[in-house]
Amino acid sequence: MNCEECQQLISVYLDNELEKESSIQVQKHLAVCAACAKVCQDFAMILDFCLLDETADFVPPNSKALWCRINNIIETEIKPEIAQENTEEQIKKGRLSKVWGNRWQLSFSQVLTSVLGIALVSCLLTVVAVKNYSADNDNFTANAAPTILEKVLGKIGLKTTPEQVRENRIKEQQATIEYWNKRTAARRADWDKNLREAFDRNLNEIDQVVFEYNKILQENPQDELTDEMLDSALNEKVELLREFSEL
Amino acid sequence: MNFPNYNVMNVKLKKWVGFLAPQKTTIFLLSVVFFFVSAPAEVFAQKRFSKSYPASKNVRLQLTNRTGTVTVEGWDKSEVQISAYMEAPAANMQPQSLSGTIYINLVKDNQGRGEVGNVNFTIRVPFDSSVDIETRMGNLNVSNVRGGLVRAHISSEGDIVLTNIFASAVSAENVIGDIFFDGDIQREGNYRFTSTRGNINVRIPFTSSFRLVATAPSTRSISLGSLANSGLRFVSEGRRVIGQIGDGSATLTVTNQRGSISFIRR
Repeated sequence: MNCEECQQLISVYLDNELEKESSIQVQKHLAVCAACAKVCQDFAMILDFCLLDETADFVPPNSKALWCRINNIIETEIKPEIAQENTEEQIKKGRLSKVWGNRWQLSFSQVLTSVLGIALVSCLLTVVAVKNYSADNDNFTANAAPTILEKVLGKIGLKTTPEQVRENRIKEQQATIEYWNKRTAARRADWDKNLREAFDRNLNEIDQVVFEYNKILQENPQDELTDEMLDSALNEKVELLREFSEL
Repeated sequence: MNFPNYNVMNVKLKKWVGFLAPQKTTIFLLSVVFFFVSAPAEVFAQKRFSKSYPASKNVRLQLTNRTGTVTVEGWDKSEVQISAYMEAPAANMQPQSLSGTIYINLVKDNQGRGEVGNVNFTIRVPFDSSVDIETRMGNLNVSNVRGGLVRAHISSEGDIVLTNIFASAVSAENVIGDIFFDGDIQREGNYRFTSTRGNINVRIPFTSSFRLVATAPSTRSISLGSLANSGLRFVSEGRRVIGQIGDGSATLTVTNQRGSISFIRR
């Protein structure tokens, strides 16, 4: 047993709550270690002192007067703080009552300007809403350009633009194609010549389609129909590779 | 220049012919035997498979072929009759009939085998059957079927011909090849025809009700026939036709990446 372990157990040891074996070990250590023996002695003294029933010696001669003094001191320290809080609340209440309690005294021209302003804003909002609604309804429009708000949000990274969505989707599709391509490449050596040629011919056909669509999208990134067709062609390529990899 | 002496050569040739004359019959017989020994590689290697299954009316046929032509015909019998001609090297085939569905999967049954010959199927099914057939390469023909589903899928190239089809869900897709559909459009049905290069011809009654989306982005060749005056409109610079005929309860989607689309009155 080392000193640290011994000192951890000293308190329990003094309470006679230690197991017999541990207690013997502690005793052995205390017999050879002067430092721990001193600690043990100090602990024992504290315990003895606490066990003595001498609390009566510590009762002050006039406890009532003492409590009165303490009470006065506390009150003198707390009262100014309470008073300050009350003053701040009154100030706040005063400002609000000024805003809400005052009567609105507006001239005719002010009222007219306000009404016209509200009407104008309402008209603009209605026009924007109707425009967006009709755009949503026509699912087949080829070039649905993003709104200015969408562009701004896209630039600051708060909204993913259709181009970003497309890029991510194509990346995923390319990864899938890469996977099936490897699997097909491993199997194609076993196919007969006709099957190999047919596979290459069809893959080439799809690749040409993908190339054409990519070219169109480079020129016109907002062409939704081409985007849709590109998605479809890439999915067809995945299907072709997957199905031939089973052979 | 020295020319060969043909007289001497003729005499030598006659001697050889005279020597061979008694053996003519033997040579002839040997050649016949050789022919029959070598010919089976091409002629006799074609195996025939034939099997029939009793079937309820709404049986489902699910066939996956590797290469070859598949012909499925509806008939007025409660029986599914499968005939297959297997070219050499002959494919393994283990059809299964499980709870109203007949499964034939030649891709699974021959997985890992190198060369497998074409398998040409002729299958007869009850009229009310559902047919789901696919092949990696080859033609698919389905006729006289009015079950819930008709699906014909070619992974690569081949033509699809669907005639006299009255199913509520029809799908036909290939990469290179033509697609021809001749059938009815059922209420709330779903019809989808997709190709990358080929011609898609759809022959339907023009009194049908459906919502149409036909897309031919490369060729812009969409021939509406009599449907032209039915409220359909070209959008996206003529690459797509959309619109509704009647109450538009069914959905008809036709996509041909690099080919034409034609609608024909039935």
